[in-house]
Amino acid sequence: MNVLIGLITGMISGATPILLAALGGTFTFYAGVFNIAMEGMMLMAAFFAVLGSFFFHSWVIGLAFGVLGSLTLALIFILFSVKLETDEFVTGIALNLFALGITTYFLRQIFKVKGVFTSKSIVPVPQLHIPFIEKIPFVGPVLSGRNLIVYIAVIATVFCYYLIFKTRFGLRLRAAGYNADSLDSSGVRTSRIRMQALLLCALFCGLGGAFLSLGYVTLFAENMTAGRGWISLAAIILVDGHPYGIAAISLLFGFFDGLGLFLQNYGVASQFTAMIPYIATLFALYVYAQRRREKKRKRV
Amino acid sequence: MKRRLWSGLVGVVVALAVGALIMLAQGYKPLSTYVALFQFSLGGIGPFTTTLKNSVPLVLTGLSAAVAFASGPVNLGQPGQFVFGALAATLGGLYIRLPAVLEIPLLLLLAIAGGALWSSIAAFLRRAFEMSEFIVTLMLNMIADFFTAWVIAFPLMDRKAFSPMTPQIAKSGWMPDLGLLSSSTLVMLGAVVLVWFVFHRWRAGYEWRMTGQNSVFARLGGCDIHRNFLAVMLVTGALAGLAGGLVVMAGPHRFIKGLGANYAWDGIMIAIMANNSIVGTLVYGVFIAAIQTGALGMELITNVPSEIAQVLQAVLVLIIVATREYTNVLLDRLSARRQAKERAA
Amino acid sequence: MNDLIALHNIVKVYPPNVLAVDDVSVSFCKGEIHSIVGENGAGKSTLMKLLYGLVPFDSGRIEFGGVNVRFRKPGDAIAMGIGMVHQEIVLIPQYSVWENVVLGAEPVRTLGRIDSRTAIDAVRSKIEEFQFNLDPLAIVDDISVAARQKVEILKLLFRNVSVLILDEPTAVLTPQEIPQLFAELKRLRDRGHTILFISHRLDEVLELSDRITIMRKGRKVATVEASETNKESLATMMVGRQVIFTSKRTPHQRGELVFEAQHVDWERGDGLKLLDDVSFSVHAGEIVGIAGVEGNGQFELVNSIMGLEQPTRGSFLVKGKDITSLSILERRKLISFVPQDRGKMGASLSASILDNAIMTHHRLEKRFSRWHGLVLDYRKARDFVDMLKERFSVQMASRQSDFRSLSGGNQQKVILARELLLATPFFLMDQPTRGLDVGSIEYVHGEILAMREADRAVLLISADLEELFLVADRILVMHRGCIVADLMTEKTTIEEVGAYMLGGRASA
Repeated sequence: MNVLIGLITGMISGATPILLAALGGTFTFYAGVFNIAMEGMMLMAAFFAVLGSFFFHSWVIGLAFGVLGSLTLALIFILFSVKLETDEFVTGIALNLFALGITTYFLRQIFKVKGVFTSKSIVPVPQLHIPFIEKIPFVGPVLSGRNLIVYIAVIATVFCYYLIFKTRFGLRLRAAGYNADSLDSSGVRTSRIRMQALLLCALFCGLGGAFLSLGYVTLFAENMTAGRGWISLAAIILVDGHPYGIAAISLLFGFFDGLGLFLQNYGVASQFTAMIPYIATLFALYVYAQRRREKKRKRV
Repeated sequence: MKRRLWSGLVGVVVALAVGALIMLAQGYKPLSTYVALFQFSLGGIGPFTTTLKNSVPLVLTGLSAAVAFASGPVNLGQPGQFVFGALAATLGGLYIRLPAVLEIPLLLLLAIAGGALWSSIAAFLRRAFEMSEFIVTLMLNMIADFFTAWVIAFPLMDRKAFSPMTPQIAKSGWMPDLGLLSSSTLVMLGAVVLVWFVFHRWRAGYEWRMTGQNSVFARLGGCDIHRNFLAVMLVTGALAGLAGGLVVMAGPHRFIKGLGANYAWDGIMIAIMANNSIVGTLVYGVFIAAIQTGALGMELITNVPSEIAQVLQAVLVLIIVATREYTNVLLDRLSARRQAKERAA
Repeated sequence: MNDLIALHNIVKVYPPNVLAVDDVSVSFCKGEIHSIVGENGAGKSTLMKLLYGLVPFDSGRIEFGGVNVRFRKPGDAIAMGIGMVHQEIVLIPQYSVWENVVLGAEPVRTLGRIDSRTAIDAVRSKIEEFQFNLDPLAIVDDISVAARQKVEILKLLFRNVSVLILDEPTAVLTPQEIPQLFAELKRLRDRGHTILFISHRLDEVLELSDRITIMRKGRKVATVEASETNKESLATMMVGRQVIFTSKRTPHQRGELVFEAQHVDWERGDGLKLLDDVSFSVHAGEIVGIAGVEGNGQFELVNSIMGLEQPTRGSFLVKGKDITSLSILERRKLISFVPQDRGKMGASLSASILDNAIMTHHRLEKRFSRWHGLVLDYRKARDFVDMLKERFSVQMASRQSDFRSLSGGNQQKVILARELLLATPFFLMDQPTRGLDVGSIEYVHGEILAMREADRAVLLISADLEELFLVADRILVMHRGCIVADLMTEKTTIEEVGAYMLGGRASA
C-alpha cells in the first residue's frame, strides 16, 4: 500500500514540472512560434527561485523571482525573434545556452560553488494539507499534502483549456498559428499575440522551474532541468497541444520518473533508471508517428 | 561574401561589447579582462597551439552540425555521437595493442564508426517509422550520456581512481605532439578540407546541399533523398564521433566522467554562427576555443570566473546571428529608401 | 462624382531595389466599380496594399474623404471603412464560417468568453442581408472556393466597410461562377459601396466596371470610362504595344505514340478517388492540354506521373515502357518537367543559378561528372550555364547569383531551358505561365510550339483556357478525377470546355 502511494506521489511530482512547461509551450505552439526555449526558461526559474528564497527567506519571493527569471528570457526571445526577426530555432538554442551559462556563472559568482548549491536558508514551497480529505484512507495521502505548485498546475490545466478554446484571446491565438496572414488582415497584429503567448509560456515555465528547485528538491544544481524542457516539447507535439492530453502525457512521464526512483531501491543502476523517461519519450514518439502515418493514409 | 564578412565582424564586436557591459555590471574591468583572455589564448605560439588543440572537438562537432543543417537533417545528436565515438576509441585503446602507425588510424576509425553507429539509430527510426530526428537525437543524447556514465562507473571502471573513469588506453594510441602542436589539430584540418571538398565538389555534396535547400525540388530532379539522408546522418555522426575519439586520444587518454558535457551544444552553436558554412565553422570554432582557453587563464589574474565564457558564447551566437540577419534587412531598406527619394524628387 | 479616395504621387520601392509603384496619382469615387488593370508585376496589387496599410509606401500621400490618412496596419484601414480581399484567400480553414467572419471583432461576455450565439446571429443576418447563401456553422475547409471568397467579402461587410478592394477574385473561379460574383458586386455598388477591382482579364473588366485605370511597370498609364474603350485599346495600353489574340499554331502531323496513361486510379486513404480511371495518350509532335478547375485531380495526376505518389491502380507508359514503378531518376530519363510552382518544385531559390541549372543533368549527363560520378565537373557546368544564357537570352548578374535574384520570367526561362536540354521524348508542363508577364508568356508559348515542331510529346496542364486554345491541339477536361471530355481544339469552344469543367460529363 505504502509502495503504491509512494509510486503515485512520485508520479505526481515527476509530472508537475513537465506539465507546467508543456502548458506554457502549448501557447506558443498554437501561436505558431517554434519555441524550444522551455528548457532555458525552466532553468532560469529554478535558479532565481532559489536565489529569491535564499536571500529573502520566503518561498513567495522565491516563486516571484523564478517567474521573473523566466520572463527575462522570454523578453530576450521577443526582442530577437519577434522584433529583430532572428530565426526562432536559433534564438531558442542560443537562449537555452545563455540560461545554462548565466546560471552556472551566477552559481559561481553569487554562491561561490560549482555544481550544486544547497542551504538550510532556502525556504521550499510548502505542502498543502486539505482538511477532511486528508483523513480519507489511501485517497487522502495522495490528494492532500502535495506541494502547492502541484495544485496550481491542476488549476492551470483547466485554465489553459478555457483560455485557448473558449475565449477571444484563444481564438486569436490559434488563428496566429493556423494562418498569421488571416489574423493580420483581420486587424489583429500577429506579432502581438505571439509576444503574449511567449510571456504566458514563460509564466508557466517559471512555475515549473521553481517547482524543480523549491518543491521537487530544495537546491539548485547546474543544468538541473536535464532535458525536461525537451520532453515537454515532445509532450505538446504528441497531443497536438491539447491541455488535457498534455496532463495525461505528463502523468505518464511522471510515472516513469517515479518508477526509476523506485527501481533504484531494488538495485538497478541509477544510470539505467535515469534513462527511462527518455526511452519512454522515444516510445511515445514512435506511437505518435505510427498514428500520424495511419491518419495520413486515411486522408491526405 | 564581403557583406557576410562585415556582418560577422560587426556581430563579434557588438557581442564583445555586450559581454563587457555584463562584466561592468558585475564590477569587473572589461578591457583588462579581454586582454587577459586573449593573452592566454592567442598571445604567442604556445597559447595558440593550445587553442588549436582545444578547437578540435568544437570544429569537428561544428562541422557535423553544419553539414547536417545545410543538408536537411536536424541532427542535434552531436553530444551523443561524440561520447559514443570516444567510447569506441577508448574500448579499442584498452583491448587492442598495435604499433602506433596502426593503432592510431584504427582508433580513429573506431571513433568514426562509434559516432556513425549512434547517429544511424536516429536515421533508422526516421526511415522506418517516420520519427522526426529532431527530438529523437536529443533523447538519444541523454541516453548515451547515462549509458557511458554507467560504462565508466561499472564494467570499465579504473579501480585505482577516485571518480568514475576508465584506465588509460595503450600508449601507442596517444596522439603524438609535434613540438607544441598536437597532431589532433592536423587530423581536424584534414577533416575540414575533406568535408569542404565533398560538400562543394562531389556529386553527393551537390545533392546534399540541394536537398537541404529544397528537398522537393531535389527529389524531382532525380536525387535519392532517402539515401542522401542516411548518408548525411552517418557522415555527421562520424564527424562527431571522430571529435570524441580525438579528445580521448589527445587529452586524458581515457574516458573520464563528464567528457562530452563540455562540448554538448558548442558544435551546434558554432554551426549556427557560421551559417553552416564550412570555412566559417573552422573560423568560429577556433574563435570560441580561444575564448574557452583564455577564460581559464583570465580567471587566474582577474578574478572573473571562467564561467563567463559560457555566457559570452551564448551572447555571441545571438548577437552574431541577429546582426547578420538585421544588417541585411537594414542595408536593403536603406537602398530602397535612397531609390524612392530619387523617384520622388 | 466626388472623389472618395485620392492617391497623390505614390512611390514604393521594395527592398533592396524593386520599384513597384512609380509616382502614381489616381482617385476613386463613391459608389463606383473601378478596375485597375495591368500585367503581372505592373504594381496594381502593390498599389492597393499601400492604400490598405498592408505595405508602407515611401513617398506621396493618400486622401480619404478629403482628409490625409496613412494606415499603418490593415486594422486602421478597416476602422475607416476600407477592406481588401486578397488574391490568395486568407481564411483559417480549421475555423467555421462565423469564426472567420468575426475574428478580430468578436463579441465577448465576461471573462473574455466569446459570445458565440450573438456572433452567429449577427453573421446569419449579414448573410441574409446580402443574399450570400452561406452556412455560418460550416467549416471553411469543407466549402467551395467560391463560397470562401464570399466569406472574405462577408468578413469585410461585417465590419461595415464602404470600400471593397478585390485582388483578382475571378482567378480562382470557374467561368460559370463569375457572373454570380459580378451580380453581387453590382448589388453592393448600387447600395453605395465603392469597389476597387484588380484584374488582368480584360473581358471581365469591361463587363463589370464603371471606370478603368491602366498600369504598366509601376506607372499609371491612364484612367478611362469603361463605356468609351474596348479590349484592344486596353491591351495596347497595358502592354505598350499591339497584342495578338490569335494562335500562332500551324498544322503539324502528329507522330508515334509517346505517352500513355492506362486506367489510372489514385485513391486517398479514406476511399475517395482523386483520380478515377484516367486514360489518355499523347503522341510525338502533339500538344495535349488538360483543362479543369484546380483541385479536380491535376495535382495528383502530375505527382503520379513524376513518381512523387504511387497510383492505386493503372500504369503510365512512355514509348511503350512501363514507368509506374520506376524511381524518379529513371523516369527523368524519359520525362522533362516544368512544375507550376517555381519556388517550391522547380528550383531552389536560395541556391545559385548554376546549381539550379545542372539539376538532373548532374546525374543523366556523363560529361558533368568525373571519377565515375564521384566528383562534379564545375568547369563544364559553367560552360553549360553560359550556353544556356546565350541561347535562351536569360538576364542574369552572374552564374553564382541566387536564383531568387532573377525575375519571374528569367527564372522560368532557366527552368524551361534545363528541361528542354534533357534529351527526353515526353514533356510535362504544369501551369508553365502562371504569374508571368505577357512577354514571358509569349516566349513560353513559342517554346512549347517549337517542341511540337521538334516532335516531342507535350502534356500541358493549365487553368487558363485562353492559353490552352492558343497552343493545344487537343483539350482534355478533368472533373472530379475523371477525364470527362477529349476535344479537338478546332472543333470546340471556350463555353463548351467551361461547361465540362463545371458539370462533368452530364452537363454538356
